[in-house]
Amino acid sequence: MSRLVPTAEMTLGPFFPREFAQGLNDLAPGAGDAIEITGRVTELDRRALDNVILEIWQADRAGRFDNPQFPGWGRAATDAQGNYRFRTIRPGAVAGRAPHVNFLILYSGLMRQLQTVMFFEASNDPVLMAVEDSRRSRLVALREEKNAFRFDIRLRGEDETPFFDD
Amino acid sequence: MPTLIERRDPLTQAQGVERGYAQTARRWPAQPLARRPHTAAELSGPPPVARLLPVQEGDLAGHGARRAIGQLIRLRVRVVDEDGAPLPGTVLEAWHCNAAGKYIHPNDSHDAPVDPNFYGAARMLAGDDGVAELRTIKPGAYPVPDTHGWWRPPHIHFSVWGRVWLSRLVTQMFFPGEPLNEADAILNAIRDPGARGRCIASLAPSATSEMLFDYQVVVRGRAGTPGLP
Repeated sequence: MSRLVPTAEMTLGPFFPREFAQGLNDLAPGAGDAIEITGRVTELDRRALDNVILEIWQADRAGRFDNPQFPGWGRAATDAQGNYRFRTIRPGAVAGRAPHVNFLILYSGLMRQLQTVMFFEASNDPVLMAVEDSRRSRLVALREEKNAFRFDIRLRGEDETPFFDD
Repeated sequence: MPTLIERRDPLTQAQGVERGYAQTARRWPAQPLARRPHTAAELSGPPPVARLLPVQEGDLAGHGARRAIGQLIRLRVRVVDEDGAPLPGTVLEAWHCNAAGKYIHPNDSHDAPVDPNFYGAARMLAGDDGVAELRTIKPGAYPVPDTHGWWRPPHIHFSVWGRVWLSRLVTQMFFPGEPLNEADAILNAIRDPGARGRCIASLAPSATSEMLFDYQVVVRGRAGTPGLP
């Protein structure tokens, strides 16, 4: 069977409707032991970026991706100071993988989406191991409080976040 | 059936730093992107997205006294995977500027009038045939600030979900016969002329008061076949 070529991705641009990113960053309404993931998105020279769109995809607490009670997907936009915030639950380990949260980043000046992954601790996870040794710690969130994690994303420049081709 | 995701083809997909689009040099990572194995995380979908996102009627043009100013158009957008199989029930988000080239967005500083009857954002659901329709007005062109003469051609932004996490697609649809298409730094970042051409909608015969355009979106992924041992 002949294969169709996927449509070319293009930049999100600067005018993604604000309301498309509202009310979608709380994945754990009513969940008792929710965690918070916050961070700041910056470009070269550490300048903070406004209205960056971040989408996440994660397993439930048992490591499942098909739990009808837990969507596992969320979206947030950065504010004028570059800050985003998700409220979710800590994912369980998926077979062969350490607990993690997948991130997708969309913004003007990015010709296509960028993908990265947040981990809760260093491990031998095969996706974490795909990043060169010296940069792996950039993918491990900083634990600020018992249930609060910080995951800053630097698109380019010193200490830039490792991103994945696919 | 598992979904397979193949590598992006650099001829049909843009990435990196583009001359003529200065922000790319401040934002695209300087380090090479890492290749990772595909596990359940990357090859599962966020299927409940359609339940989380409220879907509206695909009409931004309005009627009667509430009609938006501009050329009425109707878009027939078909979403398929790389096998050509339609994706019924998938969510599409669309957004675009008004006929004068102005977005309803606080970050748009372009000196062009706001149309009180136009709000340029819609979220749609594809039907059984993978087709979603949007009735709207044709967006205008507008200058990009601080670029010494880069004008964006009329275009409509689309955000689409495919079968799995790696199928997510955000793109822009262009209109046929627009002279600004020839020089646009975003459209022309797609090096392959065929792939570029597929980002341009095609005019279809219409017996109604709207110009009709067809546009096909191909999301990444094809049905997996059992691998050889």
